[in-house]
Amino acid sequence: PTEPFALIICINPRLMRHLFVVIDCSRSMEDQDLKPNRLTSTLKLMEAFIDGYFDQNPISQVGIITTKNKRAEKLTDLAGNPKKHIAMLKKAVDTVCVGEPSLYNSLKLAIQTLKHMPGHTSREILIILSSLTTCDPANIYEMTKTLKSLNVRVSIIGLSAEVRVCTVLTRETGGSYHVILDESHFKELLMLHVKPPPTSSSSECSLIRMGFPQHTIGSLADQDAKPAFSMSHLDSSSGPSLGGYFCPQCHSNYTELPVECKVCGLTLVSAPHLARSFHHLFPLDAFIESPVEEHQRNGYDFCQACQGELKDKSIFTCPSCRSVFCVECDLFIHDSLHCCPSCIHSQTAS
Amino acid sequence: MKLNIEGLLVYFPYDYIYPEQYSYMLELKRTLDAKGHGVLEMPSGTGKTISLLSLIVAYQRAFPLDVTKLIYCSRTVPEIEKVVEELRKLMEFYAKETGERNNFLALALSSRKNLCIHPEILHANIVVYSYHYLLDPKIADLVSKELAKKSVVVFDEAHNIDNVCIDSMSVNITRRTLDRCQNNVDTLQNTIQKIKETDAAKLREEYRRLVEGLKEANVARETDIYLSNPVLPDEILKEAVPGTIRTAEHFVGFLRRFLEYLKSRLRVHHVVQESAPQFLKDIFDKVCIDRKPLRFCAERLQSLLRTLEIADIADFSAVTLISNFATLVSTYSQGFTIIIEPFEDRTPTIANPVLHFSCMDPSIAIKPVFQRFQSVIITSGTLSPLDIYPRILDFRPVTMASFTMTLNTFNVCLCLVALSSKFETREDFAVIRNYGNLLLEMSAVVPDGIVAFFTSYVYMENIVASWYEQGILENIQRNKLIFIETQDAAETSMALEKYQEACENGRGAILLSVARGKVSEGIDFVHHFGRAVIMFGVPYVYTQSRILKARLEYLRDQFQIRENDFLTFDAMRHAAQCVGRAIRGKTDYGLMIFADKRYARADKRGKLPRWIQEHINDGSLNLTVDETVQLSKHFLRQMAQPFRQEDQLGLSLLTLEQLESEEMLQKITQIAHQT
Repeated sequence: PTEPFALIICINPRLMRHLFVVIDCSRSMEDQDLKPNRLTSTLKLMEAFIDGYFDQNPISQVGIITTKNKRAEKLTDLAGNPKKHIAMLKKAVDTVCVGEPSLYNSLKLAIQTLKHMPGHTSREILIILSSLTTCDPANIYEMTKTLKSLNVRVSIIGLSAEVRVCTVLTRETGGSYHVILDESHFKELLMLHVKPPPTSSSSECSLIRMGFPQHTIGSLADQDAKPAFSMSHLDSSSGPSLGGYFCPQCHSNYTELPVECKVCGLTLVSAPHLARSFHHLFPLDAFIESPVEEHQRNGYDFCQACQGELKDKSIFTCPSCRSVFCVECDLFIHDSLHCCPSCIHSQTAS
Repeated sequence: MKLNIEGLLVYFPYDYIYPEQYSYMLELKRTLDAKGHGVLEMPSGTGKTISLLSLIVAYQRAFPLDVTKLIYCSRTVPEIEKVVEELRKLMEFYAKETGERNNFLALALSSRKNLCIHPEILHANIVVYSYHYLLDPKIADLVSKELAKKSVVVFDEAHNIDNVCIDSMSVNITRRTLDRCQNNVDTLQNTIQKIKETDAAKLREEYRRLVEGLKEANVARETDIYLSNPVLPDEILKEAVPGTIRTAEHFVGFLRRFLEYLKSRLRVHHVVQESAPQFLKDIFDKVCIDRKPLRFCAERLQSLLRTLEIADIADFSAVTLISNFATLVSTYSQGFTIIIEPFEDRTPTIANPVLHFSCMDPSIAIKPVFQRFQSVIITSGTLSPLDIYPRILDFRPVTMASFTMTLNTFNVCLCLVALSSKFETREDFAVIRNYGNLLLEMSAVVPDGIVAFFTSYVYMENIVASWYEQGILENIQRNKLIFIETQDAAETSMALEKYQEACENGRGAILLSVARGKVSEGIDFVHHFGRAVIMFGVPYVYTQSRILKARLEYLRDQFQIRENDFLTFDAMRHAAQCVGRAIRGKTDYGLMIFADKRYARADKRGKLPRWIQEHINDGSLNLTVDETVQLSKHFLRQMAQPFRQEDQLGLSLLTLEQLESEEMLQKITQIAHQT
């Protein structure tokens, strides 16, 4: 079809996440038990986290809050663009770490935004806490109740030791609480939060409209081509362009997906984004491993995906279409693609 | 679960059991079988109470003729409540398993408001109450004297039992006591006068009874109905009350004379120390009071108070105290000393004379208990070295065993920091600063609560003052709030409450307290309330006290215990008590820091309980402050990793099947460390 189209999609909180990451920037972040210090190490890992997060949850959003000196402030607002977050994280390396963090103020700041998020999306807060204390203007247990009633899930990664208030906070809100052992363990724990958390039974599902704009490339030779500014770059300095993604509803121009249309509010995504999000809900079955000799007797000696010769000791068979893959392709299919190419192919053919 | 302990069916109200609990019950059963006494040490938080209760109740059901009653003595009201709670669980389990309503009656004596005087309580199968009901002669006489001989007596948390015994037998007399006593005697005189006018027959009847002597009491003791009372010596039971104090007026006159004599003794200007025979000789020389009437004093007063039908005995506490003193001083020529101090050591200018009649031999108070009951069990988390208790309490146990905690991971990190606080160097500026640095560094790495113990209130005040001057206190306060235990009970409980609040809401706090104080003895710091305990210095008792010196001398002469051995033993049991406050169970974890290099010496280390000693290795000895910080950081991170019950199962937590495996039974026999 030449016209871009919109679809109504059933969505649940595991598909659309709203996550605030709170980064402790208090005095204890200067501790050098992570190299070169806790802050630099954390920010570096956060960049990887943001990348991973948007790779796995393309239609979700993230915001970053920093807390120090008993105050909390937003580094970036809730948004779906990884580049902006990463740029801000890079800038934050020079932050001076002073005073104490405030859990209460950070949570309060986060829920001010999160509470407006619709019910079919998740509301999550991830706190990276280095300090062993928190300086709060009011009773944190009252805040816990509020968080619970708003269905906000709070998870904490501690950089020093187990702190009681964190244990209670995460237990009450259904989040997880881990304390790091070293840098690699820190990375491992952080990456756990890339995957969406298991949904509670009470979470609602709902139908929302989504646009699937097609990418058009205009050429100067085309008489109908009208140069347009990208809506998402209105505030930045990039100039008008001829092509891009046009919203199926209002024809606003965007250079990147996914995005929420600034004019009509429609969520614009591309099909692979949705597929990547869906794989948490419908994971691809593991392929069956078997020794290679068996199959060579049957005459199969090529991998269905890369068409390379099957040289390794074992091969992998898709349980539904019985196609055979080599070990590299098996890893690629399960880690990145999340669907069996052979199955897809046979579906479109029939 | 139902256990089979050497042929005895024991109902245990939990699904899992710790191996050391099984081992403990095994030893306990053997003690009961032998009808002897036992000393058992098992760390707190391993379910000592329920093991004790399950086994003894099972024993009672199996052999109702051999063991009729369990008398469970604990120290404080909260502890008594805990015992009752466990007992309730056990009873529910019995009801569920056997399907019949049991006819077990348990009784807890805590305070007057819960008092029940129904006669049925005499037949209770289990009695739970405070030590004092059994050890303090004044109370024991009222409460415990009718307890049957075939009872099992358990002293829980008994590491301080010798001090309780001594306190219950010691008498301190001040001017105030004498003044109040004077009033009492006046009241007595007036009452006697009144009764003489209205009901002279009553006094005559009493006189007749006294001539007959204390036959009744004697018969009772010989027929073994009552627990004997150390204030009522055997000899006087066989004799009649001497004529000099037989009539009421004469007795009151006698009391007056005795009182005047005591007053004259308090008018001293220098310290006097003398033995009981010396005191008796002096009193005979000065006011012609013989030994014999003095011995009857306590009993005679009781008789008089009964005759006069005085309802409120509490008003007469002063005169009761004096008469008890009279009886004790004339009965025991050994084991006691009299010290008269004209002023307190700290305030030599203010006259405040005190007569200490101090007991030095804890075995006197507890002797009737050991003699009367067939099994007495002494148990606690800190009883090391085990052999010292039978020596100072003068009894012969059939079992002495120490049990250790079996753990899948080490949830205790023990650090011995090489800092000095010897008496001579402890005022040293550098020592104080080192202590401050240790606390400061720890406050930055330990989450939530830290409890720090000092050796005395005075020392703590000095240190805190210098920390303030050096600015250390200010730096610590950047990490945590600071609370201080004081001698004022209300202030301390307030500080404690706020301390717990600060630990709870993530503010973090440090509690500075004193070994031997209220906090070190009775308060538990579970989980986040005590992630680290720091013991600054070795908590030796104040050795300049004359009472202590007298006691040490007595121990050396009578029990061949060297002064230094006893002092170290006493210091180490208090240190162990202090650091033991933080670990109250298997899921709990904490740092134990002994900040004094003297702890590393073999004589000190050897006197710590076995479950603490096990954690000492080369890596935890003679650490610097920096090393301690690194060790703590690593330990706290390890401990913060998720803990699952499955990890424990089969190793330190057993199901019935696992328990009954041959291999496990082998292992269990090694847990008990016999001495």
